[in-house]
Amino acid sequence: MGVGPAIQKIMREYKGKVRLVIKHYPYKYRDFAFISSEAALAAHEQGKFWEMHELLLKRSPRLDRRSLEQYATEIGLDMQRFKEAMDKKKFAPLIEKDLKLAQSLDLYNTPTIFINGIKIVGNRPYDYYKRIIDEELRNVKQ
Amino acid sequence: MSSNNILVVTLCFIILLTGNPAAKTLEPIDSLPLSENNKGYKAIELGKRLFFDRRLSGDGTMSCATCHIPDMAFTDGMEISLSYPTTKNWRNTPTVINSVLHRYFFWDGRAKTLEEQAPFPIMSSFEMNLNLDYLEEKIRQVPEYNRDFKDALNEEVSLKGIAKALAAFQKSLISRNAPLDRYLKGDTNALSEDAKKGMELFVGKAGCIKCHYGKALMDNKFHHLGVPERPEHIEDPQIAITRRFVAKIHGYKDYKLLKEDLGRYLITKDKKDWKAFKTPSLREVSKTAPYMHNGYYQSLEEVIDFFNRGGGEGNKALRPLNLTTTEKAYLKTFLIEALTGEELKITHPEIP
Repeated sequence: MGVGPAIQKIMREYKGKVRLVIKHYPYKYRDFAFISSEAALAAHEQGKFWEMHELLLKRSPRLDRRSLEQYATEIGLDMQRFKEAMDKKKFAPLIEKDLKLAQSLDLYNTPTIFINGIKIVGNRPYDYYKRIIDEELRNVKQ
Repeated sequence: MSSNNILVVTLCFIILLTGNPAAKTLEPIDSLPLSENNKGYKAIELGKRLFFDRRLSGDGTMSCATCHIPDMAFTDGMEISLSYPTTKNWRNTPTVINSVLHRYFFWDGRAKTLEEQAPFPIMSSFEMNLNLDYLEEKIRQVPEYNRDFKDALNEEVSLKGIAKALAAFQKSLISRNAPLDRYLKGDTNALSEDAKKGMELFVGKAGCIKCHYGKALMDNKFHHLGVPERPEHIEDPQIAITRRFVAKIHGYKDYKLLKEDLGRYLITKDKKDWKAFKTPSLREVSKTAPYMHNGYYQSLEEVIDFFNRGGGEGNKALRPLNLTTTEKAYLKTFLIEALTGEELKITHPEIP
């Protein structure tokens, strides 16, 4: 499950107070990490990032191209558009850009979360993030 | 008997009574012999790559640096360490800074060298969870590592070599030029007046120096201080698995019923080690919260209060200190101000 549930809880509990920006950091030693990121972005294009994200985690490590197409069908994506995005590697440059950003920031682990610039390496429980967010929100109010 | 003889006998007697007077003093870290660290530069670089390489975990999600985060003084800032997905750890991540000065490793001291220490977290089911033979083959498969092992260690990829390189990197992580070091070497302005008062308490009324002395401010021993268990840790089913598992593999007969961390006792089965844990170094202590083996205390104030009331239930090692609020504040200032060295600048190495 990774950090997903904690992030989703943050987005619920702090609705309107926090903004989530996701950057992709596919692990180069995992065969399907890169195309899974591509699939997530292709789903995002059709407004279904989280649905695809959930399925990718649930069905991992079965993340080969055929499986990804199956998941896209399951969540009701326009398959022609999805396949075209995957075939043309439409989102690869964006992912490469994210990878370069990660490299420039000296990141070495997923997830790495930044809360107003505060770096948190590794998967933490909700309360850990909550402490920092509350502190940052207090600072904003001051 | 001549008066000279009486003097000699008297001096001998005094020395016997007081032991080695140099044993419990504060020492600057600069007097550390560093030649070994400087010579093995390539081994350090190899060890650094391995330290950050997520190949060292079973599912490729964790490296040593996942829990020993350079930006957090090589800890992870958690009460109990981060763990392998779907498991939970049960102890706090100690910093690896100054580990070259330690004679035992882990809270229970189950390893006596850094080389011996290295494989434990890698193979631990609730840490990096990777079979060591599999690790060796994984590393052997990487051409760059084959080259680097020959270059740095003059040997082929091996488990022993992996441990040696990881140890070399960790030995290079030394806290330098802390205000205490400068003060002990004669710079009387290195500490503020409040920190100096804190130091007086540290070596005097508060008695911290009884266990925290020498370069690393530690005694390389194990003590039962009665640090409480967190109720939620006792009840947590995943922590319970870890607790029973560790007790079982160390041959503790009643492992199925175990509700607490027995510390060093699990290793030695010696009554004196019952719930005893290794004295941590106090170097960089301002950056290594939460404190104690289970991260029970979030702040230095809480830790000082714990010692001031004579420790926790069942301990025979501590007595109440009767420090005033002002004295506690001086002590805290000393811990924060005096023991924090220059920042170690570590950049993420390129992983082959």
